[in-house]
Amino acid sequence: MTPLPFDPLASGPLLAGAVVATAASLWLLLPNGRDTSSARWLGTLLGLGALAAFILAGRRLGGVGEEAVFLIVSLVAVVSAAATIVSRSPVYAAIWFALTLAGVAGVLLVLGAQFLGVATIVVYAGAILVMFLFVLMLAQPAGLAPYDRVSNEPFLSALAGAVLLGVLSLSIGRLSAAPAPCCGVPSRATATPTAETQPSSDVASESTTAAVANSVAPAIDPLAENHVARLGGELFGRHLVAVEAAGVLLLAALIGAIAVVSRGEAAQAAAASPSAGRSAAR
Amino acid sequence: MNTVQSLPLLQNALTVGAILFSLGLIGILTRRNLIVMFLAAEMMLQGISVSLVAWSRYHGDWGGHVLVIFVLTVAACEAAVALVFVLQAFSRTGRLDSAAWQSLREATVGRTVDHELPSIDTVPPRFPTLTPAGILPAADEDEPLQREHV
Repeated sequence: MTPLPFDPLASGPLLAGAVVATAASLWLLLPNGRDTSSARWLGTLLGLGALAAFILAGRRLGGVGEEAVFLIVSLVAVVSAAATIVSRSPVYAAIWFALTLAGVAGVLLVLGAQFLGVATIVVYAGAILVMFLFVLMLAQPAGLAPYDRVSNEPFLSALAGAVLLGVLSLSIGRLSAAPAPCCGVPSRATATPTAETQPSSDVASESTTAAVANSVAPAIDPLAENHVARLGGELFGRHLVAVEAAGVLLLAALIGAIAVVSRGEAAQAAAASPSAGRSAAR
Repeated sequence: MNTVQSLPLLQNALTVGAILFSLGLIGILTRRNLIVMFLAAEMMLQGISVSLVAWSRYHGDWGGHVLVIFVLTVAACEAAVALVFVLQAFSRTGRLDSAAWQSLREATVGRTVDHELPSIDTVPPRFPTLTPAGILPAADEDEPLQREHV
């Protein structure tokens, strides 16, 4: 591990201050039954301070445009994530979580994962979140429920989460470009030149093998024109069995959900519960 | 285009993933609404996804991308099954409260009792004020379906 001249992400006081500010901010902002606006303001200010500390602790990316884009999308993700867990109303929490998903999709796009960014929006925000909202509309009682205005051990939980965040940031800051002394991860980016040194002059006859070699080619360039095709080749090439297993898992989840609903309906019909009609209407 | 192996981008993305994971952890520990707890769990999955993609980019390997696709699949399955259980729990207790199931706790753990709760929020919700347009509809004040909060 080579010590850098200025290593802000691993510098102790800044990180400790960020951790303390995060814990205090979340403790003040989490619902605790006796909300005062001054506590909310103080919590918001402390949260902004923690955000500023984490931004200062971040590394410079080099390019101004890329840095600005990454900063904006990650700020959207992090701020709306904090707003998700401190919202009193679960509907607002779900909507803030949708904004978190938008920010995460932006981060994934900056990282060069086009397909995953779009899939996050489509699958999470389009399907899963709408399902959450449907369940909220079915199940949420009118008004703010009392259990939405209290928390389980907000001080201890905020402290534990902030300490975990501090430890993670420390270990992230100690990452260095030098490979580990033993058992370095075999990066396939270093193996790229060996794969490309083979001449592919007879392209016409070996187009399929060239495509296969292309799909194994590791460089994840977000501007490559066949980026998604390479991901598909990897997914249905090396990980075909896992894809089948995921399909079986989806089928099992589908059947299991229907089975639980129908069995619960039968039990409720036996118990003659007044709320059975609501579940049967689904 | 920057290089594939850029350490600062990796570290910043890992920091974002760590923040999302920690916030989700705090949410699932503190909140008592079952649906908000599941939202927090999904947020932890998002943090993991960001970290996986960052490592995948750093190493120039597709493994992280493929794993995130499976994370999406498992999250969809989990949400479907879990929401069915949440609906069943709601139809049994009439509440989305995790403390409604505290009879399942350990014998040595104390009972969760809510006290000193004000009847309404002391901080009233702030709704946007719109300029009036058109005719004011005749609202029935005794309409039971109207909610004072969202």
